[in-house]
Amino acid sequence: MMLSRVLSDGEGGFTFSGIAAVVTDRHHVRAFGNSLLLATLVGFIGTAVGFLFAFTAARGRLPKGLLTWIDAAVLLPLVSPPFTTAIAMIFSFGPRGLITYDLLGLKNITVYGLSSTLFSEVLTYFPIAYLTLRPILAAIDSNLEGMALSLGATRWGVFRTVTLPLCVPGLANAFLLLFAASLADFATPLILAGNVFPVLPTQAYLQITGLFDLRGGAALSLALLFPALGVFLLQRYWVGRRHYVTVTGKGAGQVPFDSIAPAMRVALLAACAMVAAIIVYFYALLLYASLIVALGANHAFTLQHYRVIFTEGLKAIGDTLIIAGIAMPLGGLYGLLLGYLVAKKEFPGRRSMEIVSMINYALPGTIVGIAYLVAFNDPPLVLTGTAFIIVACYIFRYGPTGIRATVALLQQIDKSLEEASQGLGASSSTTFRRITLPLVLPAFFAGLGVVFIRSMTAISATIFLVSLSWTLVTVKILENITELSLGPAAAFSVLVVAIVFVVIALIGWVLKFFRSASMPVTSLIGGG
Amino acid sequence: MTINHSALARAARVLAPLALGLAMLAPNFAMAAETVNVYSIWPENWARPMFEEFEKATGIKVNFIRFSSGEALARVMAEKNNPRIDVLFGGPVETFAAGVKEGLFEAYKPPSFAALPARFRHPEGLWIAIADDPLVFMTNNKFLKENNLQPPASWNDLLAPAYKNMIQMADARTSGTAVTRIFSVIEVNGRDENKAFEYMKKLRPNVQLYTKSGGGGTLPVGLGQAGAGIFFIVDALDTKAKGYDVAISFPKEGIGTAAEAIALIKGAKNPAVGKKLIDWATSPAMQGQFAKYKINFVPAHPDVAVEPSLAQVLRAAKIFPIDADYAGANRKRVVDRWIAEVLNP
Repeated sequence: MMLSRVLSDGEGGFTFSGIAAVVTDRHHVRAFGNSLLLATLVGFIGTAVGFLFAFTAARGRLPKGLLTWIDAAVLLPLVSPPFTTAIAMIFSFGPRGLITYDLLGLKNITVYGLSSTLFSEVLTYFPIAYLTLRPILAAIDSNLEGMALSLGATRWGVFRTVTLPLCVPGLANAFLLLFAASLADFATPLILAGNVFPVLPTQAYLQITGLFDLRGGAALSLALLFPALGVFLLQRYWVGRRHYVTVTGKGAGQVPFDSIAPAMRVALLAACAMVAAIIVYFYALLLYASLIVALGANHAFTLQHYRVIFTEGLKAIGDTLIIAGIAMPLGGLYGLLLGYLVAKKEFPGRRSMEIVSMINYALPGTIVGIAYLVAFNDPPLVLTGTAFIIVACYIFRYGPTGIRATVALLQQIDKSLEEASQGLGASSSTTFRRITLPLVLPAFFAGLGVVFIRSMTAISATIFLVSLSWTLVTVKILENITELSLGPAAAFSVLVVAIVFVVIALIGWVLKFFRSASMPVTSLIGGG
Repeated sequence: MTINHSALARAARVLAPLALGLAMLAPNFAMAAETVNVYSIWPENWARPMFEEFEKATGIKVNFIRFSSGEALARVMAEKNNPRIDVLFGGPVETFAAGVKEGLFEAYKPPSFAALPARFRHPEGLWIAIADDPLVFMTNNKFLKENNLQPPASWNDLLAPAYKNMIQMADARTSGTAVTRIFSVIEVNGRDENKAFEYMKKLRPNVQLYTKSGGGGTLPVGLGQAGAGIFFIVDALDTKAKGYDVAISFPKEGIGTAAEAIALIKGAKNPAVGKKLIDWATSPAMQGQFAKYKINFVPAHPDVAVEPSLAQVLRAAKIFPIDADYAGANRKRVVDRWIAEVLNP
């Protein structure tokens, strides 16, 4: 919280004149409009795709093996820095792309613009929606749907009047997260948006790194806060008016039933499989690029790139693992505690605390990075050059996913459960530990998983926080890409993917000792 | 959903302080006297061998990290009150000029200062050049063959319809490469700005993308996603060395070049060792090693011979330095005009 305060104060002081300048510049106004358009589209489409996957996973009665595969494919985009997807896009869909030119023979294709940026961002961010929605769908008592069905509603009717409305907090949260993520993303547009579709985070980055104008860049970034805040307040208003309690503690045994028709099930599965296939194609390309001398020039097999990363890159790998390992549990706790406080406790400043926690998330990383650098370079709190500053940035920047997940889940839990516990004589801390905590654990693991994954893959903020003593794998990837060394960049990315999957599997394995119900490993970070 | 809380808590209690204590409270600050802290704008594969040679020659260890020019300067600005480094190494003079305006550097005149031509040094020694980097045309050979073209030998060759939507070059808002390119066009048009802009507007339909960084288009040209581009020679020769089938050529009207520099940070913690690095980097001791490591910069020091194969590439080329005074006085206006008339007409 302190960090967020420092941030907003430190940045807030000198920005009003800057914002006026932004409003009057016609290029910036256009970029602002483009950002809103892109973020809205990414929000809607990403949430829809995420819901499709979550619904299929939660209600499709899929065999466990298939579910694990789909889960794994969905997680891939979260796990890799966006630069690599963007370059795979250009390689596949560019004017001489593998698919557009070699396969389809199309000429004069333009890969740069809204559609490819949108495509790439939806693919990168829809897993966040999936992770937010899956536990919520799983938490909806399927007896409710069963009852509606037996009362004569059609399956579509049940979906429309029972399932979907109960998901509203989750949908709204997913939209908010995706909208903010897209608003803050500068890497994808940097490579894919081209000159016809400028967006504000990229403009802000250019203002700082190209024109050396920290102030102007900060002002541009702050302009992005208004739409993020707007959507946030809208979401609160919309969700806050109604009740979505489905976990009442009065549930009987779950009666399994078919909530979707067989034909529908096939259609849903096919849609999911198609998206998953695109993702798998991109990452197969990445794996291929890591095993050949140079993509597009010399396709002879080599292990040289892996040799490079395990010698020169070893320090970066070690540093990244240490930092991600520390940020993960702390970030999970931060999300859980703040989400709990925001959703369940009444105290002055609650709403502003919630808003401030979102600021870190919705600001473009470049600005957050520089703000941290400026705030912690001077006494009393000198953190630059240490791992602290990177860990803190990760926790406060990526913890909000856990906050949103916790808030959304808590809105489903009936207060009477906690009141009953307290009525029976338990203290409020015991109630939290024995009743609330187990119920929100899925959200805790969602938050924890996102913090870990982001710690392994984030780039925009941390490029300003790495130091002579602490460096990160993603910075190495970016450097290799700028140096045209696609091979080592791809090899590093493959390694990051592998590490994340191993760690998630490990958490799943450890958690089996704590939890009675067994579950597919990857559903862990989705809640399950 | 029962959880063994005590086990979790115990694990957390044991592990957390251990991890925190070990990993975070002891950042290995490079405080030893014989260490110099550096941000390098040169990519790691060029900077690393140079710094290793420096350590071999002087016993001083270089502790460095690599950033692009904009990111490096933004960091140095943000750290101004408590500098983390002693020397900013490599990167276009332009970046250093921006740093001078922000008051980031300490004046220092190394022994080589007197030997350097005026355009390779700041008059007060706030920066000193270590290398020179001319622009070139780079084209994809497969693209040339498909369209029955020769590598472009004139600025006007790039206007041919075959290049429609197939050229990538840098964006003047962010890239020194682009600014050098625009001043090259103005120079070959006899400083007739209107004529130069006429040309750039005619070229616009052939430009697929203005990239954010100077070398951003090299990979697309190498892969054939774009047919041609205008880049610094180091980036172009590096693309070729990676195995991409590209041709390098020069326009007969001539093309500009930009210097790469080094500077001492104001308030540096180890200024004495920082100065030693600057002494070394501005002298033939470092610049004589470019060839050995296939770094295709042109040495700035007049006593260092250009490596034969690089000299071969440059042999027929007409290369001129961009007039620093003229460019400095007109830069903002010209870039603004470029944005208004060429980028967003």
